[in-house]
Amino acid sequence: MYMARKLMILLLGLLSTAAWAQTDTTIIIRAVTGLKYDPPRLVIQPGRQLRLILKNDDDMAHNLVITKPNSRLRVVEFALALGDKGAQQHYVPNMDEVLAHTRIVEPGHADTLTIKLTDGEYPFVCTYPGHGYVMYGMLYVTRDPKRLPPADRDPNLPNAAPNAHASHTTAPAHPYALTFPAMYRTFMPDCGPAAIAVGLPAVNGGPQQSYCWDAGSCRLRYAWSGGFVDNNEHWSGKGQLLTKVVGEIFYREKTGFPWRIGSSDTVPEPRFLGYRLVSRYPEFRYRVGDIDVRELIRPVVNGRGFVRQFTLSPSQQALTFLTGTNDGMRYKASVGKLAGNKLILPPGTRQFTLTMTAL
Amino acid sequence: MTKPLFLVVLFVSLSAMVSMGQTKPVVADTITDYYEVQTIPMPAGLTAETGAMAFLPDGRLIACFHRGEVMMYTPKTKTWKLFAEGLHDPLGILVISNRELLIMQRPELTRLKDTDGDGVADVYETVTDQFGLSGNYHEFAFGPVRDKQGNLYIGLNAASSGAGIRDELRGRYEPLGRQGKMYSCVPYRGWIMRLTPDGKLLPFACGFRSPNGMFIDAKDRLFVTDNQGDWLGTSKLYHVEQGKFYGHPPSLVWKEGFPDVDPTTLPPATLDSMRVREMIAFPHQRLAHSPTQIVVDNTGGRFGPFAGQMLVGEMDFSRLLRILPDEVNGQLQGAAIPFFDNAGLRKGNNRLVFAPDGSLWLGQTDHGWAGDRGIQRLVYKGGTLLDVMAMHLTPTGFELTFTQPLDEASAKALTNYQFRRFYYKYHASYGSPETDSQPVPVTAVTLSPDRKSVSLTLNELKPNHVYELMLGDLRSAGKRICNRMLYYTLNQLKQKPQ
Repeated sequence: MYMARKLMILLLGLLSTAAWAQTDTTIIIRAVTGLKYDPPRLVIQPGRQLRLILKNDDDMAHNLVITKPNSRLRVVEFALALGDKGAQQHYVPNMDEVLAHTRIVEPGHADTLTIKLTDGEYPFVCTYPGHGYVMYGMLYVTRDPKRLPPADRDPNLPNAAPNAHASHTTAPAHPYALTFPAMYRTFMPDCGPAAIAVGLPAVNGGPQQSYCWDAGSCRLRYAWSGGFVDNNEHWSGKGQLLTKVVGEIFYREKTGFPWRIGSSDTVPEPRFLGYRLVSRYPEFRYRVGDIDVRELIRPVVNGRGFVRQFTLSPSQQALTFLTGTNDGMRYKASVGKLAGNKLILPPGTRQFTLTMTAL
Repeated sequence: MTKPLFLVVLFVSLSAMVSMGQTKPVVADTITDYYEVQTIPMPAGLTAETGAMAFLPDGRLIACFHRGEVMMYTPKTKTWKLFAEGLHDPLGILVISNRELLIMQRPELTRLKDTDGDGVADVYETVTDQFGLSGNYHEFAFGPVRDKQGNLYIGLNAASSGAGIRDELRGRYEPLGRQGKMYSCVPYRGWIMRLTPDGKLLPFACGFRSPNGMFIDAKDRLFVTDNQGDWLGTSKLYHVEQGKFYGHPPSLVWKEGFPDVDPTTLPPATLDSMRVREMIAFPHQRLAHSPTQIVVDNTGGRFGPFAGQMLVGEMDFSRLLRILPDEVNGQLQGAAIPFFDNAGLRKGNNRLVFAPDGSLWLGQTDHGWAGDRGIQRLVYKGGTLLDVMAMHLTPTGFELTFTQPLDEASAKALTNYQFRRFYYKYHASYGSPETDSQPVPVTAVTLSPDRKSVSLTLNELKPNHVYELMLGDLRSAGKRICNRMLYYTLNQLKQKPQ
């Protein structure tokens, strides 16, 4: 069916004039997570044959119904009123306000509608039960697209303005002002999925610094200065998109898990045990072998870098901590000997600091 | 759209009756005569996508929100206070004390403690994180609920085909679990897990897609809701027992001894024979789209006549669901009926908890789906509405018990009981049509001497079907029946006594 139509279009295209081809507009629109169409706004010229392909990239079934201007909610309510007849007619009510529609499209599938429209604002909407109040968009048929409002301030679109562009708005993120140190467990880039972002207070008029700590592999992953994070995309919708780093990344860990126990070169498997807040600074706790490790990270007083304070449970085993090499940082330890990237701790060490400063 | 019209009709009919000079007062009998919705003021600046709610021993409400806030609300003073922040999509709370909580967040179950008594959590202990995370947004984590032995249970969502996975995962990657629509490519997605008192997280039961409601009753039975989608013809309530498989296949890859195959490629008939059916189906679009938390009315009557019954939240409709359990041949099945249907409650009722005063608090969210935000509460005002109290299968039909004695004429009219039966297909596709749908005539009705129960004889009873019952204009001393739509999930027939 689809192939046949494609072939027909091809044949028509060959047989007819170039002008015919110009009047045909093909647009692919996707149904995506969060009950959204991507893009939510379509702009075409009047009088053209629109071939609209709905691709369903979501995990739920969707359709796409183009309605007469100002008729979206009416169509949605009539679709809901279909009751048990809904499914067999793809949740599309028989009414004049429906101008064109796809079938119900299962996840991973696609369907196509064609329509020719004159000037106007035509809503499109998913009439699958429960979706219609959230999942919609606007098809503008106009010769003058410049007169349309910017997409993020288009009152005809769902969620116009807020989340994705929250940096331009003054909407608070929380019912309180964020106090530094501040932390979020969230999805961070370049980290395992159990990530923790920590924003530190600026010291001595220096830059604000932040870091990403991986609660899966129990290690500092990277650090940046000049800001904390932007969670807006992660918070809006269902939570697939990552929280963004705000600022410039000046350090990336490339060594892997830093601890070695005894003389063995085997990389031990740590287990995350949580954290406590010390004047709002998180002190992470994890177990390596039978050793309990705590790590508290403070900003250095001058420039970019951290003072990492480690506290260890009693152990007779020799412990080695691997710092990075050629990672743009200078390392200094309060205890033990730093040879190359190996900090060898004297047996019985219970506490030490590792100061790392950007070169 | 229809509500104003309905009110007009009601008004006209009332005034007509009054003008006809009736002496008996006519009761405009609606659910809002018995229950009132109140909206809780939320703090300014809060995006109130409610993920979890509970009450502390001291009577304060504790609630978690999508952006990681844990906040306490004092009902007397109507004030909010921050207890903890920075959590990743917290979706469950178990209260240990006024200063200690267990909170289920996306990456782990965490124990939050206020050790210095300043009213703010300062210790966040990882109770368990021994399960996989692929980074897919749909890997929500639910629970915990606790049994009498002190075991905790958590529910791990399957991942969504609508989105991918991260480069770095937590837990072993299993490509055979990556197939299918919703998937389980890291350990124990789609499972209910048991955390023993000594801290071991063990697989308990599998075959779940989105187990957003978990509850353990006084008999230590675990109940779980799941959401319509692939392999789920409709949303449902399960009675979950150890070691069993509940129908959503990808999680089977983590079952010990399961062969190295993509479970979604097994013949549906094979999977069907392996699965345990739901206790109660919630017919899609008719009753529910997305069932949420389960609570039991433990108020001893302070919430009205339904003490001891389970209520279930629902995302897309302005209603809750009330469960009418039945036990047939030792197996739980039963019916669901709307509660507070379309009477002013917002949608998105994701979390439910009874307050010490017997009111029911409802935490709402939309979170990218249809729904609402904020917190409301339902307060019982008194009186007894006319509603169905129980629905039991008999060898020849059903017995319905009502909250009030029925008027004899309405109770004995066969036309007041319209049955239809159908079943949902078990298949990989999203949802299912109502299949084998047939009206089922009622051939006899008998009213009990106390007029509170009717026994209905049906023309035919078929196992593994859902029985829809539409009640007509049943009345009780001027009161109208409150909810007319019931769905009984008939898995097993009741044998005639020998």
